[in-house]
Amino acid sequence: MFGEVSRHLLRKRATILYPFKERELVPLPKGYRGKISFNRDLCVGCTLCAKDCPSNACEITKDERGNRPVFHLDRCCFCGQCEETCPRRAITLTTEFELAAYDRSALVVR
Amino acid sequence: MAFSTFEVPVGPQHPALKEPENFTFTVDGEHVVGVKLRIGYNHRGIEKAAESRTYIQNLYLMERICGICSVAHTTTYAQNVEYALGKEIPRRAEYYRVIIYELNRIHSHLLWLGVAGHEIGFDTLFMYVWRDRERVMDILEMLTGNRVTYAINTIGGVRRDITPEMADKVRKSMDLVEQRVTYYKKAAAAEPTLLTRVKGVGILRTEDARRLCAVGPTTRASGVKFDVRAEDPYAAYDEVPFNLVSYDLCDVLSRILVRVDETLESARIVKYCLDHMPSGPVRVKLPRTVPPGESVSRTEAPRGEVIHYLRANGTDKPERYKVRSPTLGNLPSVCEMLTSKGDYVVRIADIPIALASIDPCFSCTDRAAHFVDPSRGKEWSWTFEQIRKYARKD
Amino acid sequence: MSVFLDILSILLFPGFAFVIVLALIYEWIDRKFYAKLQNRMGPTYTGPAGVLQPFADLIKLLAKEDITPMAADRPFFSITPVVALALMLTGVLIIPIGGASGLLSFHGDVIVAVALMTLLAIVLFLSGLFSVNRFSIIGAERAVLQLLGYEIPLMLAVLGVALGAGSLTLAEIAGSTKAWYLFGPQVIGFAIYIVAAQAELERVPFDIPEAEQEIVAGWQTEYSGRKLALFRLTRDVELVYISGLAAALFLGGAGPVLEGIHPWMQTLLSTLLFVVKTVIILLILSTIRALFARLRIDQMVDFSWKYLVPISLLQMVLVRLVI
Repeated sequence: MFGEVSRHLLRKRATILYPFKERELVPLPKGYRGKISFNRDLCVGCTLCAKDCPSNACEITKDERGNRPVFHLDRCCFCGQCEETCPRRAITLTTEFELAAYDRSALVVR
Repeated sequence: MAFSTFEVPVGPQHPALKEPENFTFTVDGEHVVGVKLRIGYNHRGIEKAAESRTYIQNLYLMERICGICSVAHTTTYAQNVEYALGKEIPRRAEYYRVIIYELNRIHSHLLWLGVAGHEIGFDTLFMYVWRDRERVMDILEMLTGNRVTYAINTIGGVRRDITPEMADKVRKSMDLVEQRVTYYKKAAAAEPTLLTRVKGVGILRTEDARRLCAVGPTTRASGVKFDVRAEDPYAAYDEVPFNLVSYDLCDVLSRILVRVDETLESARIVKYCLDHMPSGPVRVKLPRTVPPGESVSRTEAPRGEVIHYLRANGTDKPERYKVRSPTLGNLPSVCEMLTSKGDYVVRIADIPIALASIDPCFSCTDRAAHFVDPSRGKEWSWTFEQIRKYARKD
Repeated sequence: MSVFLDILSILLFPGFAFVIVLALIYEWIDRKFYAKLQNRMGPTYTGPAGVLQPFADLIKLLAKEDITPMAADRPFFSITPVVALALMLTGVLIIPIGGASGLLSFHGDVIVAVALMTLLAIVLFLSGLFSVNRFSIIGAERAVLQLLGYEIPLMLAVLGVALGAGSLTLAEIAGSTKAWYLFGPQVIGFAIYIVAAQAELERVPFDIPEAEQEIVAGWQTEYSGRKLALFRLTRDVELVYISGLAAALFLGGAGPVLEGIHPWMQTLLSTLLFVVKTVIILLILSTIRALFARLRIDQMVDFSWKYLVPISLLQMVLVRLVI
């Protein structure tokens, strides 16, 4: 083990200095399930997304065009079932993952 | 002959355990002469929660039974519902399930190897192994969208497909895993301080492993050749060739070797599946309600055999769902391993590594709680209705 | 006037304040080097390259709540950390830091140096005992068992050097040119000393008395706040003490560097030489820490009596033959 250990003296560290410096080194693949993004124009109000949400993060409210979902990110488990279930592809999961907030109202996606 | 013994509690909060359980050891100096086990600290009511959610919602609940072997629970669940529906899923989906399952096994075994190193004070091994495990987590993130809760299984197949570029990246990762794990096997076998800590420690004889119904690498390290993938092939395991890894040294070293070899086997299985993946759809649309009936499904999780039982009643919610996770099967074996008898002496220093050698996942395990009133010295069990009545009293 | 200067030198330089600062910097070096060997970073953010991290840890511990368990023996429980630190700081006065001899130098101070280490182990045992906690008692018992293992080889290694130099005064051993050579019989003594020192400092592979995974924190379990801060400081000062002793015995100490220069310059260069030599010893100890797993207590005592003691006896015989 001594050879391996001493070789590490010359090797670069495996740690990534996120969040202070090396943000771009964080691996973030295209299909990463991050923050929900909702397109109101495509939604038809079928409410299937709320029926399939395992953690009651998807709440149906009414606006002037009919039923529409409101997403509570503090309950969301980012499973992506709503994205899959939506027949009109109105819901997508983006790659944004830095979602901490001081105020719960910042965690609601309309 | 014990002059004066006292009891050392390990758990529920203890640096040796990653999850809470209570082991009370009776110690005489440095020798352990008895152990008493109490479980139930991590009971979360998952089986009850499963009864009030639809089958689709339950997929994500099952994933969160355990963070490390999450894919085992979702695969078993999805298979269970597919058996209950009586439908088959596309062949490509089965191969993909095998790939994710084996990647999960690699990540779980690498996690375990690091934790085992940490339990015997070998922090350097811990850091190196977990650094290499990061490559596997990155691959899983690329394939499924998340490092820990993959959400890749659905009732009727898998949710994502794999492109040839992704497949190449996975192959490169598997080569790296094979190279690193072969090095760890060689280095660990040559390291005298590590060998003295694990050889002859935590002995579980073959007949005891059979009698106490141990599962997974714990029993395969005691010479019992039992693996659900070979006994009762599910997903694509009837077509994918693999070696059943078993050693018969019956101690912690044997378990280390079994898991290391299983990691290498898993890397080979993943490469085979990538090369032989049939084309076709990855999912088939299945009905949301399940006709009344029962079904049982079992798979080989990284820790052993996990069994799920489903009773459906024609609605879109299960009537009863039962999960038996492998650690529950291994706990009596741990008590056996940690009791000194005759020539075989267990010391306090052996406790963490022997406990860790069954790869305990207490979050998976706790399905029942046992109540103790220390002031009155009473112990009893309650059904769910009794708990609710008690809670409603005040 | 000279009494005042003496007190100042004991308190400031090269006495307590200087050694405490050096101890905390050595802890930083140890942590950084250990982390580098494990392909990660050690402390990074407090101060440039994290050098103020041990200071921050000490200040944080001093500010935390200090809980004394009800069952513990209150007066003794409170006094043991102070006694431990006092022992180590006394020992540091013997080590040559700023010149050819330490602040205290008398015939037989090598024996005092070793005796202080033994006394420290006894104090750690007592601190575990007075905590009246299952884990502390196991840790304390292991500390004493480990003492039985490493004490004899340590003493023999040190006595081998004393025999070679023909004196029991640390300053003379350090100054004597015969102590300079590592090549020869002293190299075995050096190896024995390093292994025994690792056991004395209770670091991997010998951190059995405070094995985190088995007995929570061993004899330290019930200590918190200021008392824990004192114990940790004792550990760090012990690091300086042991490396300083090794530098004085085997590497020639911080002896007079050049002839005929200003005494202030002399002190500065001697201190620099001392720091360089002790850092080398420290890096060796850190590498050992990264390479091995923790031994079990019976294995440690076994190893010590089967291998360390015979080799150190052999070393004494070699020294007698060569000198």
